[in-house]
Amino acid sequence: MRAERALRRLGLLLVLLLATAADPVVPEPAGFWTGPMHGAVPATITGGTVVHTTELEALLRHSDAVLIDVTPAPRKPAGLAPNAVWMPAQHRNIASSVWLSDLGAGVLGAGEDAWFRARLKELSRGKRDTPLVLYCHPQCWASWNAAKRTIGYGYRKVYWYPDGIEGWEKAGLPTASAVAILPPS
Amino acid sequence: MKRLFLALALGTGLLTSLGVRAEETEADRAARWHDLQRAIFGDKQMLDGQGVVQLEAPVRALDAALVPITITLTGDKPIKGVYLVIDDNPSPLAAHVTFGPAADPHLLKLRVRVNQYTQMHAVAEGADGQLYEVMKFVKAAGGCSAPAGSDDAVALKDIGRMKLRLLSDFTAGKPVQAQLMIRHPNFNGMQMDQVTRQYTPAHFIQSAEVSYNGQLVFHLDSDISLSTDPVIGFDFVPQDKGVMKVDLRDSENMKFDHSFEIPEHAS
Repeated sequence: MRAERALRRLGLLLVLLLATAADPVVPEPAGFWTGPMHGAVPATITGGTVVHTTELEALLRHSDAVLIDVTPAPRKPAGLAPNAVWMPAQHRNIASSVWLSDLGAGVLGAGEDAWFRARLKELSRGKRDTPLVLYCHPQCWASWNAAKRTIGYGYRKVYWYPDGIEGWEKAGLPTASAVAILPPS
Repeated sequence: MKRLFLALALGTGLLTSLGVRAEETEADRAARWHDLQRAIFGDKQMLDGQGVVQLEAPVRALDAALVPITITLTGDKPIKGVYLVIDDNPSPLAAHVTFGPAADPHLLKLRVRVNQYTQMHAVAEGADGQLYEVMKFVKAAGGCSAPAGSDDAVALKDIGRMKLRLLSDFTAGKPVQAQLMIRHPNFNGMQMDQVTRQYTPAHFIQSAEVSYNGQLVFHLDSDISLSTDPVIGFDFVPQDKGVMKVDLRDSENMKFDHSFEIPEHAS
């Protein structure tokens, strides 16, 4: 009897261990994430809502949500040889999105915070309850950071779409080629 | 009104893209390579490189900032040099190496940065100028891999320091494998300094020249696709005991050089 209970307990422990190994729980950092942009992300965003592909599709059908892609755009480095080939690959994102590069940076450059506040005010037409959807790629901290930042700016309906562009494409949903909007440097 | 617009946008999107791309298609990749070929090699004809050049890269890279690449020149044709192109990197030509008389032009090892899932091409150039291409597909970890911010002062502390290791014993007249390790942050201009909140200016190695007893082993031209603290593997053919000299120049026009007495044995 006792042996059976012990065995059951062991089994439970094993299940728990396996579950943790397969799906490591990433806690939400207190501030913005400043580590490598690619990596395991939390499952939640305090003050906002996590949406996956079907929910996002429904949201877009039934609201005037604004889609904001925050994939960091490549910056042409100074000092590239004059004959060097600078040809960033074409970027595609969810159709009818705005590509607002760097909104998900761990640290914003001087003056960028005010600049992003102004862009979001335009995109939301000055209404704090306009639904805003932040995304980039799967396992991309930039979209988590961007959602957190947007929540901090006082927007009340912030959605984080962690499946990202690849998740949307995988569902066969439409994408479009995009041009980045970058804060002035 | 906005709702209607979105519905329309979604509707037309779905209609116009019946063959919706699940991801970057074969055709997209081929078109990209075609564009790059024109930009880098102009109208030169390109032959299939099977049997001439071989490109090894991990199918799935563990660290997108440090992807090990091995290019092997397998044929008997005399080879002038080799190009490494990472198709979807913003600066796709990662490296161009020209071999000199002291080289054994059969091997080149590099560590590179990869921006996203991409095709990679190694292009060998024969002594007659003929180009030969081979391709590998690499899955690097994600498209938003702008590197983490850095502490510039630490990264710049040992800039230009170098080490040379022999990976096989010294035998006069026979190919010897060597590994050159360079301390250099190779900043690509996309990193943010955590303290100053400014983008760290790009600062990267533009060229490296290696010679043995005054004879060229190889000349490398590169830019931001080379990893932090680059490591270069190559073969050379020493006729005698002697000195290997390395000259580096970076995008800030800083120059570094170092001379190494070649030891007898692998280290």
